[in-house]
Amino acid sequence: MRADIQLGNGAIPVQTIAAVKMKPHATRLTTSLLLTSVCAMVVCACGDRPTDPPAQPGLTPSAAAATHPSAPRFEVHVAKPTGPPRVATDRVDALGRPITVGCATCHSLGVGDSTRAMGATLTQFHQALVTRHGELACRSCHEAPDYANLHLADGTTVPFTDVQTLCRQCHGPQARDFDRGSHGGMNGYWDLTRGPRQRHACTTCHDPHAPAYVGMVPARGPVPQHFGGE
Amino acid sequence: MSALPFEPPPPPPPASTTRRSLLKLAGLTLGAAAFGKAVSPMFSFAAEKSIDEFLQNHYRELGPADLREVITRLEAETKRDYGADVTIRDPKPLPGVKFGYALNLSVCIGCRKCVEACHVENNHDRAGYQSYIRVLEMDKGTIDLEHGRADYGEPVPQPDKYYLPVQCQQCDEPPCVDVCPVEATWKEPDGIVVVDYNWCIGCRYCEAACPYHARRFNWTAPVVPAAEVNPEQGYLSNRIRPQGVMEKCTFCMHKTREGKLPACLEACPTGARVFGNLLDPNSEIRWILENKRVFVLKEELGTKPSFFYFFDV
Amino acid sequence: MAYLRFIARMLWLAFDGSWRFYVWMVALTAVWLVGVNAWAHQVSDGMIVTDMSDHVSWGLYIANFTFAVGLAAGGVMMVIPAYLYKDRQMHHVVMIGELLAIAAIVMSLGFVIVDLGRPDRMWHMIPGLGKFNWPSSMLTWDMLVLSGYLVLNLHVCGYILYCRFNGRVPNPKWYVPFVLLSIVWAISIHTVTAFLYAGLGGRPFWNSALLAPRFLATAFVSGPAFIIGLLYVLRRLDLFHIADGPIKTLVNVMRITVLINLFMFASELFTELYAGGSHSAPVEYLFTGLHGHHALVPWVWTALALNVVAAVLLYLPRLMARPRVLLTACALTFVGVWIEKGMGLIVPGFIPSTLHEIVEYTPSLTEWKVMAGIWAFGLMVLTIALKVAGPILAGREHAPGVTPLPPEGAEDDATAGPTGKSLSEARHAG
Repeated sequence: MRADIQLGNGAIPVQTIAAVKMKPHATRLTTSLLLTSVCAMVVCACGDRPTDPPAQPGLTPSAAAATHPSAPRFEVHVAKPTGPPRVATDRVDALGRPITVGCATCHSLGVGDSTRAMGATLTQFHQALVTRHGELACRSCHEAPDYANLHLADGTTVPFTDVQTLCRQCHGPQARDFDRGSHGGMNGYWDLTRGPRQRHACTTCHDPHAPAYVGMVPARGPVPQHFGGE
Repeated sequence: MSALPFEPPPPPPPASTTRRSLLKLAGLTLGAAAFGKAVSPMFSFAAEKSIDEFLQNHYRELGPADLREVITRLEAETKRDYGADVTIRDPKPLPGVKFGYALNLSVCIGCRKCVEACHVENNHDRAGYQSYIRVLEMDKGTIDLEHGRADYGEPVPQPDKYYLPVQCQQCDEPPCVDVCPVEATWKEPDGIVVVDYNWCIGCRYCEAACPYHARRFNWTAPVVPAAEVNPEQGYLSNRIRPQGVMEKCTFCMHKTREGKLPACLEACPTGARVFGNLLDPNSEIRWILENKRVFVLKEELGTKPSFFYFFDV
Repeated sequence: MAYLRFIARMLWLAFDGSWRFYVWMVALTAVWLVGVNAWAHQVSDGMIVTDMSDHVSWGLYIANFTFAVGLAAGGVMMVIPAYLYKDRQMHHVVMIGELLAIAAIVMSLGFVIVDLGRPDRMWHMIPGLGKFNWPSSMLTWDMLVLSGYLVLNLHVCGYILYCRFNGRVPNPKWYVPFVLLSIVWAISIHTVTAFLYAGLGGRPFWNSALLAPRFLATAFVSGPAFIIGLLYVLRRLDLFHIADGPIKTLVNVMRITVLINLFMFASELFTELYAGGSHSAPVEYLFTGLHGHHALVPWVWTALALNVVAAVLLYLPRLMARPRVLLTACALTFVGVWIEKGMGLIVPGFIPSTLHEIVEYTPSLTEWKVMAGIWAFGLMVLTIALKVAGPILAGREHAPGVTPLPPEGAEDDATAGPTGKSLSEARHAG
């Protein structure tokens, strides 16, 4: 735990010259001159350093915190999915757009072999689906016969818009980090009293069926600095 | 043995004195002309500079009216030199704010999107692909920078590596501020170490002093196409810097002093970066410092960085 | 009024001389103008015309600056025997060392100016007008001590020459305290310059307690080496009367300091290499190359070899009877120290960088030109200073109607061994 948060106010007070004992005049003069020069050197060396910013008037850390809760806060908007996913068929409509179907289109007809538990065993549909999510089976998250929703481990129905709740039930540390701003990108304001913030959802980066982060080719590296002159 | 070890030379005949004088005069004139020619490249350079710029005071001594004049002049010069209309603001530090930045090394994948965003946001020279951020690819199991590489190119993240972005740490005891001979760089009340680009003399002592390779020098005037100029600029941060002066990361103070997130954080796809107010006990950055195992780079140097690194435990 | 006459006479003397003088000065002026032009291009196009980068941000200019400060400090090796130990023979030629100090300080200030990204903003350093970050920044200390040393030497030399020009014996009260101060001050100029580097915690190659002592040791090698060469040249040109004594003293100084320098070198090597670890990366890079980069390896080994050979030569007996050997030793160690300051100290401080990256550095043509220009300018200053000082000290130059003082070194004629010939003899010999 880091307790020594620097407040940045390091002005060092000027030392005052202590009272000088009664001594013969010349010795007293020498002593006070010596003390003055030492103090002057200390002040010279310590004062006027550019690192010393002026003290913040009236605002201690606790006072700052106190102003925040009462200030109006803008919202943090998480980019959740809008609903159940739709599957593209091989047909297109009159305008050339692919025709998509919802889960219920097939699964309400009783289609779907519940004995096929893992994605690798699918033979007729969803074969392009890659599942690499630990030891999870399809029905760990998807609910038969209501494929329009998901379910938690205890059976509670969870709509697709709340898929994050499903992720959270197992991935607690990541959920905690997400809530605390250290997992998952964001745009907008750090100071929510001044503006809103937009955030990724879990599923923005992690495909729920193969959540391991895919990785990418990195952006350009540093240009070698070797100007060479003329 | 003569009393004088030297014998005075015989006086030259009168005629040659005149010839000598004429030759000397000719030589001097030729020399002056040669000097003028030798020094001429500087005149065209100096012609572009104004007297106002030459005499401009230090930022901390400019009153609001002076600063407005300076900013107006700078906006006009940017238009003239780069063909872009820009707005230069000078946001003041927010009261009760001290900025802190944390970086999650378990989540950073080394994609360098932050490097790219910094390059674009801060109007850096395009040819040199300048950026304030440098990402090091490190072997897992060591924190020794000697085993790091900045020029990796293979797809990220590699399984046996982790990635360490380094930028200005906005130290609480900044060595760069101590060594500047003209106080062109100083630490602001909200923690950001800034440079007055119109005061810096370009001696590069701060660049030698910084232990984190955070300072950059304008070896030439930056070249930025007009269409790519970021028009939202700050006087002490991302306005287009002149040739011959130092610059550095300012935590995007033209944005963060208005409550916005810095460009590098917004670009990060994984959310490895955490930014906020260290003085707000409810901020994300405070939570990181209090709950994660946080460390800083080169702590033994006593620079007291405001940039923290952590791994998810 | 008398002062103006003195200045006018000095200016006249600066432009008048033999044909050899003109050839020398014209050549120097040509080199100087090449340097000025190169610098003008650098100011106009930016320092991108150098080979420096954000990794190696100081190079040839600062290396030469460091070396020139050492050269200026070296003059004190004449002042100490002359004033503290009452070496009479050295006292006659001590001004040569002080004039060298002036020229060297002018050169070092020149190197700082050309290294600035914005030389037009130099006024920002003037206390009162600008902002002077003293006592925090070591560069401000450096500006103070260098300017102070320049003023001290200008005063001492100027005062003595002005008095002699007017036929007056210089009053010790007006120059001896300043000379004594300049002894301490000379130590301080190179100490402060060393502290510039040694104070940077982020650069472990420089952050060593031994840096300031090493700087002084090399200053007291390179300074006397140059002065010995200069004395031989002046003897040949009959500008000054130079006995053997001063040269012997300087050789004795060099015999000690060259060994101290080598010892400190070895001590640094041991400290860096015995424990190993990442802190020894700059030394490894310097001596053996690192990660495939080895541009500086031949340079540092050459510098070491030059210093070792020079040390051996300096310890040969009867060196005074073998001036060619002595001058070779001086030249070798002068070059050796120059390489060591530049390629062996400044550049490796940046390689590897603070993030342990290796970006190498080779000075560009512009940098060589500017360097040559400043050296030429320094030599011009030195030439003019000696050309003006010589006749005054010899009593040949004086204000009209004034009885000149007896020339410096006149009494050495009887005591000295085979030294410079008389002027007419020299003329006949060509």
